[in-house]
Amino acid sequence: MAIEPEQKRDTSTITEIIEFALAAESYGIESAFVREVCTLKDFTPLPGVPSFILGIVNVHGQILPVLNLNIFFNLPDRGLGELNKVIILCDDQMEFGILADEVNGTKAIYREEILHVPLTITGIGEKYLKGVTKDHMIILSAESLLSDKNIVVNEEVNQ
Amino acid sequence: MKLTIGTKIYAGYFLAIVIIIFFGVTAYLNTGKLLSDSKWVTHSNEVKNNITSVLSAMQDAETGQRGYIITGKESYLAPYFQGRDSIYPKLKELKGLIIDNENQTHRADLIKPLIEKKLAKMEEIIQIRRSKGFASAEAGIVAGMGKQTMDSIRAILAEMTNDENRLLIERRSIMEVTYQKTNSAVLWGIPISVIILALIGFSITRNVAKPLRQVTRTAESIANGDLSGNIASSGRNDEIGALMQSFNKMIIMLREQNQEILKGVNIIASTSSQILTSTAQIATGSAETAAAISQTTTTVEEVRQASQLSSQKAKNLSDSANMVARVSLDGQNAVDETVAGINNISKQMDEIAQTVILLSEQSQSIGGIIASVTNLADQSNLLAVNAAIEAAKAGEQGKGFAVVAQEIRNLAEQSKQATMQVRKILNDVQKATNAAVLATEQGNRAVEAGVKKSAQAGEAIRTLTESSREAVQIATQIVASSQQQLIGMDQIGMAMQNINQAGMETSISMTQAEEALTNLHELGQKLKELVEQFKM
Repeated sequence: MAIEPEQKRDTSTITEIIEFALAAESYGIESAFVREVCTLKDFTPLPGVPSFILGIVNVHGQILPVLNLNIFFNLPDRGLGELNKVIILCDDQMEFGILADEVNGTKAIYREEILHVPLTITGIGEKYLKGVTKDHMIILSAESLLSDKNIVVNEEVNQ
Repeated sequence: MKLTIGTKIYAGYFLAIVIIIFFGVTAYLNTGKLLSDSKWVTHSNEVKNNITSVLSAMQDAETGQRGYIITGKESYLAPYFQGRDSIYPKLKELKGLIIDNENQTHRADLIKPLIEKKLAKMEEIIQIRRSKGFASAEAGIVAGMGKQTMDSIRAILAEMTNDENRLLIERRSIMEVTYQKTNSAVLWGIPISVIILALIGFSITRNVAKPLRQVTRTAESIANGDLSGNIASSGRNDEIGALMQSFNKMIIMLREQNQEILKGVNIIASTSSQILTSTAQIATGSAETAAAISQTTTTVEEVRQASQLSSQKAKNLSDSANMVARVSLDGQNAVDETVAGINNISKQMDEIAQTVILLSEQSQSIGGIIASVTNLADQSNLLAVNAAIEAAKAGEQGKGFAVVAQEIRNLAEQSKQATMQVRKILNDVQKATNAAVLATEQGNRAVEAGVKKSAQAGEAIRTLTESSREAVQIATQIVASSQQQLIGMDQIGMAMQNINQAGMETSISMTQAEEALTNLHELGQKLKELVEQFKM
């Protein structure tokens, strides 16, 4: 049955975020940078890549790297356990997927709800965080992720 | 004289025999003479008798005739016939007797015709009587010479008789003389011979008796116990001399034998005392044996009773063991049934387990379905998210799409919820199933434990049965051995009795032996006394 969409208080302050769960924390990321959400199937690990890169997947014929945010954010690594969703982030330059336990769907939130949070709460670097909602959802900064230099791998295999 | 006594005696007897013969001959001769004399006497008597009979025959005839003449009955003629018939034979007889006497023969010759005449006359008269009757006959008798004839006959016969009497007297006197002779011979002869024989006898006896008396005296003294004397040898060579020598030898022998007997008696005395002591010992020994036997018998009786008791107890044990066996058999049956029941339960448990497994599988399938539904929901969700993203990217145009996406998301959410509910229920079912499985497992374990316990119980019962069976066997063996014991005891008892019997018999024999020995001892003593009576 149809649900009335949320009343628009201020369309300019509404952001659509994709809500997902990761390591028992609920995160959100702007859906503007999310191209697709799909399940993790048949990833291929790559040698000689940083550990936060899980490997590569084939999504609709396109090969994309997949990142394990646990490792990237130096969160306690729980293995691949429940990580079975891939959220594909893309912008003009970069495109990759990030692992998620669950994708709970889209949510529209007001920018005001995104509160700044002290660093001590999570181990994620400040630059990757946009804030936390009152529901304890950590909003990640997709832009910073996408533009992070660390992600670019330039290693060469020793010859 | 070198005559033996036997010869002397023979001579004496011979003399006696001679005298006897002499007397015998004399007697014989005289007796013969007497006999012949008496024969002559008899002869004369016979003649006399004959004469008388002749006369009586004649008289008979006469009587008969007279009777007939008187009566006229023929029956009265019987004497007549009798006399008549016997006259001539008698006459002949007479003649034969007097044949040695001339005178008498002559007389007999005279008689014969007379008799004939008389007879004829009588016959005549009879005829007259027969034919003519009495009167005529009477006349005839009166007229005739019959009477005279008869008188003559009588006279002659009387003469004959007188003659014969005279002869008789003669002969008798001769007999008398002979008798006298014999008498005197005997009367004189016997005393003389008696005297002679007496004298001879006396001398012989003197010859024999004196030495015999001597010997007798010696024998008497020996009988009184005096073996010291000897008989003086007389140097005679006859039987008496031999007797005296033998007697002397005998005395010497007796003396020697006495000494030997005395020695023997002493030995007997000592030996019998020894044997007496031995028998006394044996008697004591057998008394002890008897005592021991009675003790043993008592003990045997006690053992017997004890073995009977043990036999009884063993029988009781056997009975109770049998009961135990029965009970344990029941127990075994119960255990078997229990095991069967438990196995049944186990089977039921297995079935339950199977069902549970089936349930589990089903719930697995359900789980799978749920998973796929969840997957579907997830994917729908993703789709919805993607749709929302696209809608967001589409901006204003995508608003309707966003709604649709939202609906899809809702749907996905609902199905997720539904699946979550189902999952919850499934979880509950799973939990219940697990609980059931646990319970089943516990039940199984309990069953196993129960089976084990039953097995143990069964084992225990079997062991019990075995033990009780063994107990029964042992009890039976005990009973058997008790029986044998009893039999053995009985045998021992009997043997004891036999021994007792033998002991008693031995005792009796010992007593008898003792008696005999005592007798022997006494006898020995007596012998000793007897022997010591004799003065050597």
